[in-house]
Amino acid sequence: MAAPIRILTAVPICDGHDSAINTINLEFIRHGIEVVYLGYHRYAEDIVRAAIQEDVRAIGISSYNGGHVEFFAEVVRQLKKRGANDIKVFGGGGGTITHDDQRVMQKRGVDKIFFAGTSLTDMTQWVRDRYGKVPKRSGGKTPEMRLARKLTEIEDSYANGKRPKKKKIENRKSKIENTKVIGFTGPGGAGKTTLIDELILRLLHREPKARIAILSHDPSVVGEGALLGDRATMINSQDDRVFMRSMATRGQAGGLSPATEDCLRLLAQSGFDYVIIETVGTGQEAMPFQNKLVDQTVLVMNPDYGARLQLQKIVMLDLADIVVVNKSDLDRAKTAMSEIERRLEGSGREQKLISTVAKRHRDRGVDELCDLLGREPEKKKK
Amino acid sequence: MSKLGRVIEAVEKYNQHVLDEVKRARTEKRFGKQLLDRWDEIKRNIKVGRAPTGLELPRLALPEIDEPGEIARYLLGDGLPGEFPFLNGAYKEMYLEPLQETGSYAKNGHGKNGHGKNGETAVAKLQETEEPTRLFSGMGLPDDTNKRFHYLGAHQRSKRLSTAFDGPTLYGIDSDADGVFGKIGEGGVAVDTVEDMERLYAGFDMGAPSFSASMTISGPAPIIMAMYIAAAKRRFGDSVVPKLRGTIQADIFKEVQAQNETIFPVEASLRFLGDMMEWTTRNMPRWYPVSISGYHIGEAGSTPVQQAAYTLSNGFAYAEMMANCGMSADEFGPRLSFFLDCGLDVEYIALTRVSRRIWAIGMRDAFGAGARAQMFKVHTQTSGRSLIAAEFRNNLTRTAAELMLAYMNGTNSCHSNSADEPFTTPSEEWIRLSAHGQAILLDESGIFKHTMNMLSGSPGMKAVERAVEAAILEEFREIERLGGVLAAVENRYQRSQIQNAAHRYEQQIYDGTRPIIALNKYRDGAEEMPEVELVRTSRAKQQLQVDRLKKFKKKNAAKAGKALDKLAAVAETNENCFPALLEAAEVCSLGQISGRLQEVVGRFRPMV
Ligand code: B12
Repeated sequence: MAAPIRILTAVPICDGHDSAINTINLEFIRHGIEVVYLGYHRYAEDIVRAAIQEDVRAIGISSYNGGHVEFFAEVVRQLKKRGANDIKVFGGGGGTITHDDQRVMQKRGVDKIFFAGTSLTDMTQWVRDRYGKVPKRSGGKTPEMRLARKLTEIEDSYANGKRPKKKKIENRKSKIENTKVIGFTGPGGAGKTTLIDELILRLLHREPKARIAILSHDPSVVGEGALLGDRATMINSQDDRVFMRSMATRGQAGGLSPATEDCLRLLAQSGFDYVIIETVGTGQEAMPFQNKLVDQTVLVMNPDYGARLQLQKIVMLDLADIVVVNKSDLDRAKTAMSEIERRLEGSGREQKLISTVAKRHRDRGVDELCDLLGREPEKKKK
Repeated sequence: MSKLGRVIEAVEKYNQHVLDEVKRARTEKRFGKQLLDRWDEIKRNIKVGRAPTGLELPRLALPEIDEPGEIARYLLGDGLPGEFPFLNGAYKEMYLEPLQETGSYAKNGHGKNGHGKNGETAVAKLQETEEPTRLFSGMGLPDDTNKRFHYLGAHQRSKRLSTAFDGPTLYGIDSDADGVFGKIGEGGVAVDTVEDMERLYAGFDMGAPSFSASMTISGPAPIIMAMYIAAAKRRFGDSVVPKLRGTIQADIFKEVQAQNETIFPVEASLRFLGDMMEWTTRNMPRWYPVSISGYHIGEAGSTPVQQAAYTLSNGFAYAEMMANCGMSADEFGPRLSFFLDCGLDVEYIALTRVSRRIWAIGMRDAFGAGARAQMFKVHTQTSGRSLIAAEFRNNLTRTAAELMLAYMNGTNSCHSNSADEPFTTPSEEWIRLSAHGQAILLDESGIFKHTMNMLSGSPGMKAVERAVEAAILEEFREIERLGGVLAAVENRYQRSQIQNAAHRYEQQIYDGTRPIIALNKYRDGAEEMPEVELVRTSRAKQQLQVDRLKKFKKKNAAKAGKALDKLAAVAETNENCFPALLEAAEVCSLGQISGRLQEVVGRFRPMV
């Protein structure tokens, strides 16, 4: 099985026309492409940073609100500036991008424009033909790019049914002392992504020099594509101090991908202050993080977990260091807190229970959680 | 049960009530007689008008029924135009030309004189009413759009302007912000400050009864509203405020569902919206502070039923919100207005009619609203998405058919798209044709001006009405199951439904199940990308906007700081922020205000 093609798609700044790109994303996914979707109303800078970190083959931009000649060119220019000319740029914008525009855009380094009236099949076929062949690429000009490309190698070797060569991962030590690795898990719809993004906002503020890595997961089936959409909602995590990587589970159950452990190890050895890993929302029968790399685990729950009996089955409740009841503005939150509190008493471990409303700006609960995630004070960077 | 649940119940109950009354009309003699008498009286009172050919026609057409049960079904189930449940129209006469006295007709016969004379009275009377044509426009800098407004309004009795803003403005960002150069003045007009607002409407008497402005903006709507008021005050003094007429879109739910221009978190957006609605309802009695819009839902690719269902349920959610603020349905109801899409799918035969009926029943029976608050007043825009690039002149025909459907549905005002829609902000050539299209339909043709109900109530239309209403109620039930509108929004329900429908629509085009002329049918010889005149904003102009803004900021720097501090302080409390916003709008730019408010309430977290 060949590794899936990874593409990043987005809509430019001050533009919310996302209907075309949503349809195209769906079509790409159906044809085995992994799409990292950055969403609408996105700055060129955020698109370029994301494309490099996600190490995609190409960027697909859908632009309708004008200024496309400048915007596409700006994306190409910034890619070049960051040494990533081998990431290609293509896109469309219905009738708003004319043939004349396309000529200018191609001169400035854009690969291809799809005009109004192109069939979905033709576009998908073109993308598969054009970006399907793995080109010979440089290892990357910047540390960020090198890291991104190593992660791709790890993922791809698993996709090809091989374990990556040992020397690809510098496992002299299992990880660097100073790096704190935090694992987030919890059922779908509990608000993990929002919570993490709110924590990033606080961490960046609290530690003005800290660098953070995020490894996020979305479900996918072997041989099919995936929509990796966390970036679109993580508005605070699009920052030069944050390295984010979105992974598809590629058929593995349990909320992580076959390549996760190696990727996590690599990230933990890459000099970040924090590494945050987020699982897919799954049933919580087992502990998804089986390795010693994770320093702290956070289970994020939705107050609407159903009957009390079900709590017994959630093994993660015994294993997590911190349990968060998010969406605690919901009616059931109080009951949920006390039921979970009782359930935790049985674990015989010291666990923290916190209630949050992550979607609320400046939520106190999230502040409290952030305090618990600090590194040892003496290790903090000044 | 949320209010939407009550609405579902109310419509079901009302439909049952109609059936019961039909039965009663047939079995209870006295009731049957009452209905027959009423029917006779209605018919007796219908005035007779005359077409230019001399043909006499009733001003209102009714079904040919003389059986009490059917009369009950018609009067209760459909209602006469202007009567509950308003299926046939919000008002009694809609687009009818003023009555020409039949007396003088009888006297003058078909003679040339008589015609001329009556023609004159007709013109004199027409001047009192407003044309339903309202064309959406915005381009370049405020001065450019102002010029277009004057061009469009030159031949209209009433000045009904409809404003399109550019991308940065729609997102509450200043023209001098990093990364937006290139987008300034594209697809709409750039407005950064109160001075831009003055330029935009220069030369118009903003307080005149014949003037109304519509502003299509939602995310930063309260800020733009404040700037509009500030500009009007600068030009006409404080006393102009209660006279201001117009609409601001300000529909947050549909932004989250389809248009993607929310800039504050949903709850904060709703709070700012509520503050503005409360203030304008009290101080600007002729202003519509929210236009509950299905257009963007439809254009994002929803099915027509989804469009109507989400729009109506959003409307009921706003009504619930205002009721919770302590306002009565009769106070806020008349200030709500709607905006729908009209495409070529068969549902559009009756989509607006059915929407009007559901709204009326829901407002009356679930909210206890009186007659004025039951009326669904709607602006329609023909579908932009149905217009395609290949052989784009065909778009004229598409738009004409859609216009016909819109007026058949009794829309209160209408925008017709230009044929160059797929490519650019319309150039004068095509916008002129689109305006003329409406005039040809309403003034030149006899379809709508002589008789109300001219095209209402065919058996086919009735069949569509029944099917569409049932489908809308089914959508309501699903939203109710999810916990109501807000909960459904947060669960991405509407978004995912719309996206799936959009995908299906595109697939149907390319697998041929949806014939599109010159795209998948009769394609041979089609010019794929024709040459059209593009309306774009030059770099020099964009730079001018940036320079003007910088000058404004420099001039007002000291005052702006204070105004922003005050605004932020109020925003932290539960008080109404609109008065502080009005003060800030005098000296701050759009981006300064939205940026400061975002510090207090946060930024919107987009949904995929
Ligand atoms: C749908 C639509 C909307 C919807 C958008 C809903 C949504 N969530 O997407 C609504 C009603 C909300 C909307 C609003 C506005 N719109 Co609009 N909109 C359109 C419309 C009608 C269709 C665009 C569309 O989605 N088509 C369907 C797609 C699937 O087909 P397509 O465009 O032909 O694209 C094909 C290819 O190009 C290709 N493609 C496209 N993108 C990509 C990307 C990749 C990676 C690939 C591989 C291929 C590809 O795929 C398609 C299939 O062949 C166009 C006019 C038109 N008829 O095209 C105007 C249009 C784009 N809008 C326009 C404007 C101005 C606006 C507003 C700014 C108006 C205003 N001032 O308020 C707002 C801004 C909205 C915002 N948030 O930014 C202008 C832009 C003018 C310009 N650039 O000069 C247009 C051209 C209309 C006009 N003539 O005025 N709009």
